[in-house]
Amino acid sequence: MKILAFEQLPYRQLPEDFAGRYDSVVTTPYHELVSREHMHRNHVDFLDEMMLAARLGFDGLATTEHGQASYDVLPNPNLQIAALAYATQSEMLDVALACIGRSLGKSREPLRIAEEYAVLDQISGGRLIAGFPVALSYDANQNQGVPPIETRARFTENRALIEKAWTSKEIFAFNGQYNKHAHVNLWPRPFQTPRPPVWTPAVGNPNTLAGILDNDDVFLYLSWFGPKLTGKRIFDRYWDMAEERGRDRNPYRLAFCQCVAVGETDESAHREYRPHVEAAFRSGLGSIPLSGLGLPGYIDIRGVEFIAKDPGDFGLVPKMRTATYDELVDAQCCIVGGPETVRDQLLDLVRNFRIGNLVLMVQHGSMPRALVEKNIALLAEHVLPALREVWKDEAWVHHWWPKGRGNERGARS
Amino acid sequence: MISITPIRGAARTERVKVWAGQIELQIRVAGSGPAIVYFHGANGLWWDRFLDQLAETHTVYAVEMPGTSFGDPYAIHKLDTYWDLLLLYHEAIGALGLVRPAVIGACMGGMVALDLAACYPALFSRAVVIDPLGLWLDDMPIAYASLVASTPEKVLQTLYDDPGLPQIQEMLALPDDADVRSQVIGAMVWTVGCTAKFLWPIPDQGLGKRLHRVVIPVQIIWGRNDKLVPLAYADAFAARIANSQVAIIDQVGHVPQLEQPEQTLSALMPFLSEA
Repeated sequence: MKILAFEQLPYRQLPEDFAGRYDSVVTTPYHELVSREHMHRNHVDFLDEMMLAARLGFDGLATTEHGQASYDVLPNPNLQIAALAYATQSEMLDVALACIGRSLGKSREPLRIAEEYAVLDQISGGRLIAGFPVALSYDANQNQGVPPIETRARFTENRALIEKAWTSKEIFAFNGQYNKHAHVNLWPRPFQTPRPPVWTPAVGNPNTLAGILDNDDVFLYLSWFGPKLTGKRIFDRYWDMAEERGRDRNPYRLAFCQCVAVGETDESAHREYRPHVEAAFRSGLGSIPLSGLGLPGYIDIRGVEFIAKDPGDFGLVPKMRTATYDELVDAQCCIVGGPETVRDQLLDLVRNFRIGNLVLMVQHGSMPRALVEKNIALLAEHVLPALREVWKDEAWVHHWWPKGRGNERGARS
Repeated sequence: MISITPIRGAARTERVKVWAGQIELQIRVAGSGPAIVYFHGANGLWWDRFLDQLAETHTVYAVEMPGTSFGDPYAIHKLDTYWDLLLLYHEAIGALGLVRPAVIGACMGGMVALDLAACYPALFSRAVVIDPLGLWLDDMPIAYASLVASTPEKVLQTLYDDPGLPQIQEMLALPDDADVRSQVIGAMVWTVGCTAKFLWPIPDQGLGKRLHRVVIPVQIIWGRNDKLVPLAYADAFAARIANSQVAIIDQVGHVPQLEQPEQTLSALMPFLSEA
């Protein structure tokens, strides 16, 4: 099984009463809340922490894209991935770089994404995992101005254009609804042939799952909604749909993002992480107005009907702005504890739901660098070894892991 | 809640095939007398007492935008641009066999009515527009996208001068049955998504550049307390339409015909009868 370290880039110095005063997206006032010294430090710490995870043996590093958001100041994560691609190349660290990813329902310039990903794949010698989420509604529609009802159609067309741009041997013309190009001829093409593996982050919408399975991509359940509440319904839905569509039960076609916070003991972990975890959920996901997750037209009419009857896919989200620490931990929005506790809960999750790629979110809200580094170190030493062994007995091939030249020691010329 | 008279509603539904037969447009019809085509606003067609009363003296053809008709949500995907929508409506008016009808448009429907009048100067005899969208003044931005992203409570406060009016509560009432209720919610949300296709994120499709082509008489009606499209827009429209006049309705917001149907009718009936 593969384990990736994942961070968002929140502004870590938000005031304690943030959730009561602001939304975390679209309208969050910058100058009122931000010191440039802190913002600069957050950017550098983010990269340093990711490099530590690479050095301590995580299989990959992961980032996401969000515009106009205080909880993830990564308007274009490829910039950070570029820095990490070069730094890990220099240190000969053979880690995958998972951009999960660039939002194709948001992008008005998908060929730019195809080019950027190809550049990253070249710098890293083929270590890129290409993430293609549809896009969060607020980001595509409010930030980028895409009419909500066009989001999914843009995603589908943009994905097809990128696929063709990466793999076509010939220069081609593309006459789409949203993209018109007389000559598509990318320089460079990706290092990996025919292209990097594609992982699609999603929250379980059946339409999205169907597309992922039909494309034979990885489904990355990118959710902070509390797997205790949502895991069974989403993962059962995914594996049932996989069977209906003739896909095998290879666990590597499934990735799961989970927040974790490890301390020396359960008691010390709760004491150390509690304020940061609570702040992360309240001021991050909890402070996104619910309407911002599904503006009218963004979700298909049948999906709206479904949600109106059964909002269970969203788990703890509707009350996250005021969720208590105990509620968050009980729902497993974040798994907090000593090494054995965290390891055992993760093992249960991956075995129960056939998860082959675990994306561990290691920084939460206001967590300072020293605590992030401790979390990463304890995970690497005490949790990763046991997780790595899962699925070895079933002998599946991981078709969705980067297949570049790698950069193990000695592999570079 | 004070007692209100029941809504009579449309007498029948006309279905016309347009867009090379790909779309079956639904038009709710009632009344007799001179024809009026009615274009609804951004939240879809709600047949109210205003339309009931219009139908007492006219034949009202209330057009449902593709995608907003119950049971046919994906018709919206057959249109790509606002220009497609205008062409389709032009086809529909021809298919209905209407010759120079009057047109009334509210909110987004006002923008559509004026654009059709600009594109096809001989299509309508005269136009009434009620708090129309379609113009944009930089010093008075229209918070349309924010409104769509708002909570239902905020939407009500923005759209109406008095959200507590019984006719508004009546319009928003949801059925008790869970299945029907979820369908109604789905349709309400989807309808706003469909109209947003042509309004998002800034409800300006360039109508301002075309208003000089509107040569028919136009009655502009505005709710004095419109918090979505402020009253100043009434003058902006009037300044750009040669043959136009403005009537202001007091104590109403963005939807005068729902909040004060009698006053709204009083403001437009003399204009219609001049035809």
